[in-house]
Amino acid sequence: MTTTAPKQGTNLLYALIAEARGYSDAIILGRGDPDFDTPPHIIEAAKQAMIEHHADDVPPEGLLSLRQAISERVKRVNGIEADAETEIVVTNGGQEALLLMVLTALGPGDEIIIPEPNYNTYHDALKFARVNKVSIPSSAETHFRTDPEKVRAAVTERTRALLLVSPNNPTASVIPQDDLQALIGVAAEHDLIIIADDIYDLFIYDDYKHVSPASLPGGKERTLTLNALSKSFAMTGWRLGWVTGPADLIQRTKALKAGITGGTSIISQYAGLAALTGPQEPVQMMAEAYTRRRRLVMDALDDMGIQYGIPQGGQFVFADISFTGMDSAELAQRILSDQHVLVYPGAAFDKERGQYIRITFLQPEDKLREGLERMRVAMKRVLGSG
Amino acid sequence: MTVGTKKQIVEQHQKNVWLNSAIPAVTPVGAQDFSADGFYAPLDERIIASAAEALEAGQTHYVDVPGIAPLRQAIADYLNATYGTALAQGNVIVTAGAQESRFLTIQMLSEATGKIAIPSVVHPGVLKAIGVRPLTVTPMAVDSRLLATVESIQAALEAGNRLILLESPSRLTGAVYDAATVQAIQTLIVKYEATLIWDQGFAPWVTDYAAAKAGEQVVAIGEAFPGSGLSSWFIGYIAAPTALVPTMQSQKQIMAICTSTAAQYAALEASKLFGDIQRSQLQRLQAARQTLAGLLQAQVEVISGAAANVVAVRLGGGQKEQAISRLEAAGYRVSDGAAFGAADVVRLSVSHSDAAETAARLVQGA
Ligand SMILES: Cc1ncc(COP(=O)(O)O)c(C=O)c1O
Repeated sequence: MTTTAPKQGTNLLYALIAEARGYSDAIILGRGDPDFDTPPHIIEAAKQAMIEHHADDVPPEGLLSLRQAISERVKRVNGIEADAETEIVVTNGGQEALLLMVLTALGPGDEIIIPEPNYNTYHDALKFARVNKVSIPSSAETHFRTDPEKVRAAVTERTRALLLVSPNNPTASVIPQDDLQALIGVAAEHDLIIIADDIYDLFIYDDYKHVSPASLPGGKERTLTLNALSKSFAMTGWRLGWVTGPADLIQRTKALKAGITGGTSIISQYAGLAALTGPQEPVQMMAEAYTRRRRLVMDALDDMGIQYGIPQGGQFVFADISFTGMDSAELAQRILSDQHVLVYPGAAFDKERGQYIRITFLQPEDKLREGLERMRVAMKRVLGSG
Repeated sequence: MTVGTKKQIVEQHQKNVWLNSAIPAVTPVGAQDFSADGFYAPLDERIIASAAEALEAGQTHYVDVPGIAPLRQAIADYLNATYGTALAQGNVIVTAGAQESRFLTIQMLSEATGKIAIPSVVHPGVLKAIGVRPLTVTPMAVDSRLLATVESIQAALEAGNRLILLESPSRLTGAVYDAATVQAIQTLIVKYEATLIWDQGFAPWVTDYAAAKAGEQVVAIGEAFPGSGLSSWFIGYIAAPTALVPTMQSQKQIMAICTSTAAQYAALEASKLFGDIQRSQLQRLQAARQTLAGLLQAQVEVISGAAANVVAVRLGGGQKEQAISRLEAAGYRVSDGAAFGAADVVRLSVSHSDAAETAARLVQGA
């Protein structure tokens, strides 16, 4: 089957996932779901909560004890000061946090500046909120750097916010501190809200450094920041995340949260509390594994002669497949049908990014190796048959 | 430093009156809390065992957006067996609780028209969900039990509304539509090619309940297997005609990805125990409600209701404010009907019966 998948964006991804499910030997290098299971001490805490706290009161903004743990975490890891009482809302994963930040900061007809490519569901959330996006494209040659001057030039009278996802999904680029300070400067000049997504902040490679906008001068009062335990603690199925930000905005986030889901599952909240306050070694162990796997993917791509932006953080590599002359949706489809390896087409993240594919390294090393080997076979066939 | 954009944002949000309505808690805090939508229920150890087992077996990852297949099937089976519907697994979306069910149905089914008709007395969660992305709202007049009248439903349809939301039981009074009225409402919905969002979350606490049939232009919503001790776990459902599922599923995908696996596996086990749980909880609630309503009836007007989990009383002329402040001073919590759109009503949720006598005395001001 060589037809281009007709679907777009998030739906395109779900169509590919559905097809991959049909192959018993499929190797999934697509979805951003860590192969690691949640560390056992967190599951133990959840079991304990089922016995002791199954019917606890759940305020829409989340348990105070959890918000206190989040406050400590964002201070320790990100240098963000967030008051547990007034500046934090607990959410159903980073995903709900993302929609809440968009709905808090933006209304119909407003504009937001988005470095592209970017996590696809931001586009969906903006569509829901009837917000217009202004894209700032980036490319593999510059390792997907977002030039603050380009952002400045894109500001219009309607611009109200700037999205900063660092490490970025799908490009794996990390915003350097001087760029970040310049971006905050642009935001301050034009009075923009910064929507920051720190979900990959614990997975940073080589000498790159992650800095949260809300930790820098001029950042805190205009920044809403999301984070979640999905990626860092391999807790995607628990649906636990949060938004931090200045109290006046967070009050609105809280009202919106009450309107969207009302609250967050008590068991997940206690599991989250255990993750944040318990041993941090599992995160370290996973970070080390990702460091090794990242190298495997980079080496394999080098071997195949495929260019990519250096993955500075995150759990994936964004590779340029323009030399194939194929569209990424078509190529992903070919790799899947031919070799049962699922990679994500860049077109799903940004329809202008048809020349990229995203390869995650969320599989054990042997499986990852095999997946990359199969991908090499598929690429050979693609190039051989044109 | 002042941030002008922030000021604008805050002002815009403050103007959004829908968004500012307060919603009741899902689970009561202690015996003196009569304010929650749910009630305290013990958690069967088989539910704990199942949820724990699933987590230990590695069910800690993303699962399907509309829910794990066996739970969708269990919800469809339950609704079919209880309300005579013919739902398949594909008609069911598992949600992170009743509020997500409200939000997804209200916002996504109104996309085409930007309009909805709701009873003038309704759960504040409905108002809140509307406020997330404000819609044009047609309020429908209610009868003495605070249910929207058939005439007002018809008027809303005649005025061009194609999305109607109704609660039966009313989340304020527990009153329900009888079978003939449900039939009349469904006939209207079909005639006007409209869609009916039917909140039946309190239905398990009613005997002889008449349901609007989900799947025939009717989208049923509610808590999944209430009374199983899962209210704080946040687990609910939407049961919709096949054609309406994709739009809500897509939105769920972008706002939640999926519902927490612990809650889903717990609900799956609860589905197996629900026959017994529902019978015993209903009996317990009926007895407790009878006690509470009996005590209240002595001096105040109890609004006629059928659901055993709530009692609503009418308190006019400043009496309500006095009653609420007396209750609060004594550490009791109730729901102010004003949040539902009924200024002279107080709702007491039946949870524990232990504190009923004191609560009733405080309401009466004795
Ligand atoms: C950049 C980014 N933000 C937010 C999320 C949402 O994650 P979750 O809802 O699983 O916490 C993801 C998931 O892939 C992501 O990549």
